[in-house]
Amino acid sequence: MFLKVQLPWNVMISAENMDAKGLMLKRAILVQLLDVFASKKATRELGYYVAVTTLDKIGEGKIRENTGEVLFPVLFSGITFKIFKGEIVHGVVNKVMKHGVFLKCGPIENMYLSYTKMPDYKYIPGENPIFMNEKMSRIQVETKIRVVVLGTKWLEVEREFQALASLEGDYLGPI
Amino acid sequence: MSGEEEENAAELKIGDEFLKAKCLMNCEVSLILEHKYEQLQQVSEDPMNQVSQVFEKSLQYVKRFSRYKNPDAVRQVREILSRHQLTEFELCVLGNLCPETVEEAVAMVPSLKTKGRAHDDEAIEKMLNDLSLVKRFE
Repeated sequence: MFLKVQLPWNVMISAENMDAKGLMLKRAILVQLLDVFASKKATRELGYYVAVTTLDKIGEGKIRENTGEVLFPVLFSGITFKIFKGEIVHGVVNKVMKHGVFLKCGPIENMYLSYTKMPDYKYIPGENPIFMNEKMSRIQVETKIRVVVLGTKWLEVEREFQALASLEGDYLGPI
Repeated sequence: MSGEEEENAAELKIGDEFLKAKCLMNCEVSLILEHKYEQLQQVSEDPMNQVSQVFEKSLQYVKRFSRYKNPDAVRQVREILSRHQLTEFELCVLGNLCPETVEEAVAMVPSLKTKGRAHDDEAIEKMLNDLSLVKRFE
């Protein structure tokens, strides 16, 4: 689910970027904010950092004594993406293996759907392996599929989430 | 939230901070991200290089899974869903998954039928009909 968030952060501006003309300073603060936002990638609490939408407030700058940088408290709005256990989402099949398939769901690259969680589908090996059930419904690379999220895991080092998905439930499966 | 094992979106147990947070439907995110991308195109020759991977993957995803494309339709969908005393989370799940029948809607959002909430089948049916009208006239 995409979430609309408003966050207070601190932005550091180096002395070279301090300019008497107000517009340049505002621009430097925005550029720096966008940079830090993109490099953070994600947090356990809020999920993936997708985009900054508006810079709502810039507070009074405070000079750092040792470096001469100026620290500005800012308030901005943005969009994040987080999935929850029990949530039903759409994903796209990325890879098919004997024991299950990997799905992409927004910024999440590794959502795993195990063969044990799609019991009526059988693995059919080949150059392009697929899963298929008796009604000839196919799960292959690029298939759009509706799944329920069984669980999520935050990986601190990679700063990303993994998730487990299942087809056990009504109205789940390829769409 | 306390006790991570208890999280269950089907029962709306997603933590207070998220229940109060504003959620966005895929079609709304698509409008916002596409607009941002167009702005970048005007100032940069290689806009894809200017955005983060998270942005790029999100944009691909919402383009693929937005049922409504036209800004007016997107606004109407939120307006219709807002009439039904849904939480933000429920509203966006319905707007994203576009269930076609009452049974499907309840399967997607089981909390609709939680005790004490006034979602009878008739009200849900009406809501789905209104949504399909938006789709038809888009």
